Amino acid sequence: MVRFKHRYLLCEVVAEDPRCRHCIDERAVTTAAKGALARAHGDYGLACCSIAFTVKYLNAYTGVVLLRCRKDFYRLLWSALPLVTHLESRGQRHPCFFHTLHVGGTIRSCQKFLIQYNRRQLVMLLNSCTNKEERESIQQSLLGCFLQEAEEEQFQSGEEEDDCAETD
Amino acid sequence: MAEGGAGEPPPPPRAPLERLVLKNAAEHHYLRVSLEFPDGGVRLNAAHFKQLVVSALKELHGEVGAALPVDVLTYDEKTLSAILRVSSSGFVKLWSALTLLGSYQNRKCAFRVVQTSPFLLALSGNSRELVLD
Repeated sequence: MVRFKHRYLLCEVVAEDPRCRHCIDERAVTTAAKGALARAHGDYGLACCSIAFTVKYLNAYTGVVLLRCRKDFYRLLWSALPLVTHLESRGQRHPCFFHTLHVGGTIRSCQKFLIQYNRRQLVMLLNSCTNKEERESIQQSLLGCFLQEAEEEQFQSGEEEDDCAETD
Repeated sequence: MAEGGAGEPPPPPRAPLERLVLKNAAEHHYLRVSLEFPDGGVRLNAAHFKQLVVSALKELHGEVGAALPVDVLTYDEKTLSAILRVSSSGFVKLWSALTLLGSYQNRKCAFRVVQTSPFLLALSGNSRELVLD
């Protein structure tokens, strides 16, 4: 048995304007990524990456996006993502850029990385918080984040996926 | 080692073995191309020709393709034929872009790739055009 291998690019949408958060939707991300691809790699690059291109996961609150494309062509997508300068939705342009956090072979490896990454962000927040309430709420969520992982490992079945994670 | 007879002269010393490996990693590739218009009568100067090549690259391979180092070494306005030089990594990109170019200023046209070689000298003659008596 063979299967089509994919690469998952975990990206963070960074914008100065907090209103940009509301405009992150699947279509806006897809058009922005494909537009950048067409510009950087032309018809060839666009066609190669469109084969299995989907937005697998999207979190409008944290601005995290998971993009999928075929393993053979992920470099094209990877190199085109920095050229995204704005997201367009409902006729409005919101300037922002994509920050690639992780490139993984499975959704699971990206999820693992995202949990770790978010935990690190929480620790950084903890260092910079000013009053007691903030500190307590962040500590709460940090604990929650450990629990979540413990639960996850219980659910882990014996099935193993090959995982070739690459970090940038 | 076999021992020779007592009276024989010693064998001549062998030249030290030397291994030469030629990897086909030429820095550049050269293409002899010619541009064809079905109705003819189109005049193009060298700058326009280069611009046409770069626009073909940009259409198929985007800005990355357009940034490839492509040089027009010779260009003949009468026959619309040229010799292009491109770095080997962009050879396939250039060839594919030339193949898929279909029009120039809303006129149909086509690039014919006549010869390609990693050595410029190889383009000096074309065995396919030899006239044998």
